[in-house]
Amino acid sequence: MDTTLAVTPGQRLGYAQDYISGPGTYERDGLLYASVVGLRQITEQTGALPIITVSKEKEQSAVPDVGNTITGKIIRVSPMQATVAIMVVGQVPCKEDFTGVIRIQDVRATEKDKVKIYQSFRPGDIIKAEVISLGDARSYFLSTAKNELGVIFATSLAGATMIPISWQEMQCPITKAIEFRKCAKPV
Amino acid sequence: MDRRRVNGPETSVTPIFKSSTKATILNGSSKRIDNRSADDLRPLFLKTGLVTQANGSAYIEMGKIKIVCAVYGPRQLKRVGFSSQGTLTCDFKFSSFSCVQRRNHMRDPQEREYSTILVQALTPAVRLELIPKSAVDIYINVLESDGDNACLAAAIIVASVALADAGIEMLDQVTACSALMQEKMLLMDGTMEEEDQTDGSVMVSYMPSLNEVTSVLQTGKTNLDEVNHAMESCIDGCSKLYGVMSASLIESLQ
Repeated sequence: MDTTLAVTPGQRLGYAQDYISGPGTYERDGLLYASVVGLRQITEQTGALPIITVSKEKEQSAVPDVGNTITGKIIRVSPMQATVAIMVVGQVPCKEDFTGVIRIQDVRATEKDKVKIYQSFRPGDIIKAEVISLGDARSYFLSTAKNELGVIFATSLAGATMIPISWQEMQCPITKAIEFRKCAKPV
Repeated sequence: MDRRRVNGPETSVTPIFKSSTKATILNGSSKRIDNRSADDLRPLFLKTGLVTQANGSAYIEMGKIKIVCAVYGPRQLKRVGFSSQGTLTCDFKFSSFSCVQRRNHMRDPQEREYSTILVQALTPAVRLELIPKSAVDIYINVLESDGDNACLAAAIIVASVALADAGIEMLDQVTACSALMQEKMLLMDGTMEEEDQTDGSVMVSYMPSLNEVTSVLQTGKTNLDEVNHAMESCIDGCSKLYGVMSASLIESLQ
């Protein structure tokens, strides 16, 4: 079959008994249909049915889901939580920011009761976090309680980009002052 | 002598207006005012990607009807309330210069009604269960209108194309077609002049690949047999439009 066929939503792709439906497709009444505009791709698998996917040319604006790693900016800090503007979900940017919240018990994995929000995050920091729940009406619930999650980029009070020196501290290269942040382990 | 009013000179008379003759909608050789036959739809032009800052957009021209649609989403739901599925909202607006009579800048009841009809017609086709807590907003702006039912049908078509252009997952595209009914006559895709002279109309929106009707709108005075016949003709008309919609989406891929 020609693997570079352009398809539109609702176009029939094949029988459900011959293929497995991948991203961009859905199954109904034993038939596979495309669900987005894109190019149809068939990936052969050994020992299983080939997978049909439709690759989207225009990436749909990302929606956070439980378990996704997101990149965002801290916009507000309060004694019990930090509010985050979610800008990127995985590798896909969001056209308009979603709102997320990191509660005090989700900042780190150890000594959860001794966490001081202002010594973990400051407004303007760029962080990597994981979505733990769809949350309430207004925001998603996020967590930075893993080594590779936390602040990845922050500016010091003097205005320079800080360098992480431990999982709790960052240092300004100009003034050599140390500020407290919950840092992500550099990859 | 009437002293309460300002009278004209005593020799004045009231003016005689020339009675306007309305063009017959179906002349002797079964041709309509714009030379179509009773079954013909107006020629359709579709283009995607008109509004660059929106997630998806499309422009439609159907005869004199011109409509722009922009789709924003999925984005965070502004109002309070958790929903396990996504929400589809539509903002339908006639531009103030789009109709014969100048339209108000404020939303009037007709636009509110058309917004609801559009949401009803498109919701069955969009996979909202994949985007919980998010909203998809459709903005329709009519630049020129020629026939209310035909305008609504064109809006449904352009909104469906814009949703597909935004990359939002859909079960199928939604096409729509309208028809006017008068005694034994059935005119497909009526213009404003024809609408003024006919009694009843039907607008059907339909998903061609899944063979499902998503909404039916009947206005005016008709009987049941006429409505059934008109609905079948509309579904046939919808299938003809599907090819043009798919072609414009595939063209946008290149």
